[in-house]
Amino acid sequence: MVNITVRNVTKIFKSRNKTVVALNNVNLEVKSGEAFGIVGPSGAGKTTLMRIIAGLEVPTSGEVLFDDKVVSKDGKIIVPPEKRNIGMVFQNWALYPNLTAFENIAFPLRNQKLPEDEIKQKVQEIAEILGISHVLSHYPRELSGGQQQRVAIARALVKSPGILILDEPFSNLDANLRDSARALVKRLQEKFNVTTLIVSHDPADIFSIASRAAVLVDGKIEQLGSPIEIYNNPVSLRVAKLVGEIIAEKGVVANVNGKKVIKCGNLIFQPIFDIPANDSEEVEFGLRPEDVKISKDEKLEGFELAGKVVVKVSSYSGGAFRIVVSPIENEEIELYALSEVPMKVKDVVNLFYRKEKLKVFPLKQVVEIKS
Amino acid sequence: MVSNKYFKVGPIAKAVLKELVIIILVIIWLIPVYAIIINGFKSNTAVVSTNALMFAIPFTFSAYQEAWSLLAQPLLNSIELVLPVSILSAILGALGAYYLYNLTRSFNQRDRILGNIIFALVSLGTFLPYQATLMPLAILMAATNLLGTYWGLLIAYLTFYLPTGALLMSIFIATVPSYLIEAARMDGASDFNIFFKVVLPVTMPGFISTLIFIIIESWNNFFLPLVLVTNPNSALVSVAVRYFTGGFGTLYNASFAAAVLASLIPLVIFIFLGRYFIRGLLALGGGAKI
Repeated sequence: MVNITVRNVTKIFKSRNKTVVALNNVNLEVKSGEAFGIVGPSGAGKTTLMRIIAGLEVPTSGEVLFDDKVVSKDGKIIVPPEKRNIGMVFQNWALYPNLTAFENIAFPLRNQKLPEDEIKQKVQEIAEILGISHVLSHYPRELSGGQQQRVAIARALVKSPGILILDEPFSNLDANLRDSARALVKRLQEKFNVTTLIVSHDPADIFSIASRAAVLVDGKIEQLGSPIEIYNNPVSLRVAKLVGEIIAEKGVVANVNGKKVIKCGNLIFQPIFDIPANDSEEVEFGLRPEDVKISKDEKLEGFELAGKVVVKVSSYSGGAFRIVVSPIENEEIELYALSEVPMKVKDVVNLFYRKEKLKVFPLKQVVEIKS
Repeated sequence: MVSNKYFKVGPIAKAVLKELVIIILVIIWLIPVYAIIINGFKSNTAVVSTNALMFAIPFTFSAYQEAWSLLAQPLLNSIELVLPVSILSAILGALGAYYLYNLTRSFNQRDRILGNIIFALVSLGTFLPYQATLMPLAILMAATNLLGTYWGLLIAYLTFYLPTGALLMSIFIATVPSYLIEAARMDGASDFNIFFKVVLPVTMPGFISTLIFIIIESWNNFFLPLVLVTNPNSALVSVAVRYFTGGFGTLYNASFAAAVLASLIPLVIFIFLGRYFIRGLLALGGGAKI
C-alpha cells in the first residue's frame, strides 16, 4: 500500500514544428489504499500523467515519489517501471496473444521467479475471485471482452502490487457490462486495499470507484475533491460539464427587491450564496437536469419559481421527456428540462429550480442593461 | 458489366477470361521450369539434337546420376554453411533489432542518436553490394589465416547476412503493438524475458520470413564462395553447378539436372514454410514505422 506524490510535474512534447505542453505544473497526492480518479476530456493529459506515474513516460521537470522515495525526476527515470511493483490494466487489456489466460496471469509471477506450485496457487486464487477459473486454458482471442478484462485485472492483481492503475478500463466493454465491471473493481479495491489510480473520461467510472478525483483540463488540475463535491460544487462550467449533464446559460446580475439575482430573459434565479459578480455583470449559471422542473402548477415543493417559459420542443430520451423551453420574453434563449409527462408545444408553463443547487460562474464582462 | 459501344461482356465471360489469362501466365512461367526438368532426363545426344520442349525419349537417369555424383559433396557443404549462417543471422539479428527498438525509444537523447547511427550502419551492411567489398575481405581473410577455412567463410557470410537479419527483424518488431511490450515491463519482465516470451513469439511469422529470405539468399550466393573457398572439395553448390559448363563444350542435360538438384532444398523449404513468408510480407506492408 503505497502513497503517490506528484510534485510540480511538467511534461512538454517537442516535435519538429510544434511544442505541446501536456502537463503544466501538476501537483497531487494519493494516499495509501485510496481509490483516486483522474477525469478530463480527451487530450487533457490524463493518460500522460498516468504514464509518468507508471514510469512509461518521463516528466520534463518535477518529480514523482512513491512512499517518499523518488522514482522519476526531471527527465530521468530513477526506478524503471518493471521495478515499481505496479499492476496496470491497459485500455485494450494488452493480453499476450501467444499465452493462455493462465500463463497471462502467471506472467508477472514467473518474472519474479516464484516456485511453480506457488504460482499455480496464486493464479487459481485470483481467478476464483474474478470468476474466470473455467477459462484459464483458453487464449485471449477465444475469450469475450468481459472475460479478457477480468484476465487483465487478475494479471494486475496477482502479484499483490503496491499500486493498481486502470486506464479507461471500461470503455471497451459493452454498456450493459460496465455496471457489473465497475462493481467488481470497487469490490476488489476494497478487498485488497490497494492504492488505485483510475483514469477515465467517463464520470460514471470515477463516481462508482473513486473516493477522490482530480479534474484535469489542458494539462492543469482544475479541481480536486470527492466526486460528489465536484458534482455539486464545480469550480467552473467546464468542470461541471465533465462530470455530468448541466443546463447552462448566460445571465445578467440585477437587483430585484433589494436582492442580488441573475436575470435570464424574464427568469429570475437567486442562489443561496452571494453572487461573485457585480450589478450588470454577465455570469454563467447552471443547473443539473434533476434540479430543474417544469410544471403547470404555481408552486412546487422544494423548488423555487424562476418564471414563465414557453414549450418549444417536446421529445423523448432515455426514460424521460426532454422539453426545450424558452423564457416568454426572450425566445432566443433555450433551456431544457426533464419531465415525466410530455408537454404540448407553445404551452406556457412554469420553470422551477432547486435554490441550493444553483451554480454560478462569473464571466468578467460588463453588459449594458437595455432599459 | 463491362461494356462499350460494340459489345457487352457478361460476368461469366469475365470470369472465364480471368482464368484464361492466369492459366496462360502460369504456362509461360512454367515453360523454363519444365524445360530444365525434362532435359535433365535426356541422353547426351538427345539433349543437343531435340527441341528443348520435347519430351525425353529415351528417358534416362544418367544425367541426374552424373550431376548427383558431382554435387553430393557441395550440397552437403552448402547445407553445413547456410544453416548456421541463416539461424545465427536471424536470431542475432532479431536480438539486435530489439536492442535497436529500445534504443530508438529511450528517454535519453544520446541513446536515440546512437540508435539512429547503428541503424544506418546496419542498413549500409544490407544494401552495400558485397561484390564491392570482396577484395578487401579476401585480403583480410588471407592476412588472418582464415582464407579457405570454414570459419572464415562463416564470418564472411555473417558480415553480410547478420545486418540483413537485423534490418528485416527491425521492421517486423516495429509492428508489435507497443502496449504489449509496456505491459510486459509493468509485469516486471527483464528485456531478455520480453524478447523471448513476448516479442519473438508475436513476430514469429516475420522471424520465419527473415530466416527463409536469408536461407535463399545465402544458398544462392556465388561470389563469396568463389573467392573465399580455395579447396575444390569444400566447394559450395552455387559454385559447383558451373562444372558442367566448360570451355570446350557443355553437357546440357547434366547442367540442367545439376540446376534442379541445386534448387531442390530451398524449394522444399519454401513449399513447407512459404506461407509464413507471405504472411511476413503482408505484415511488412501493414505499415511499420521504424
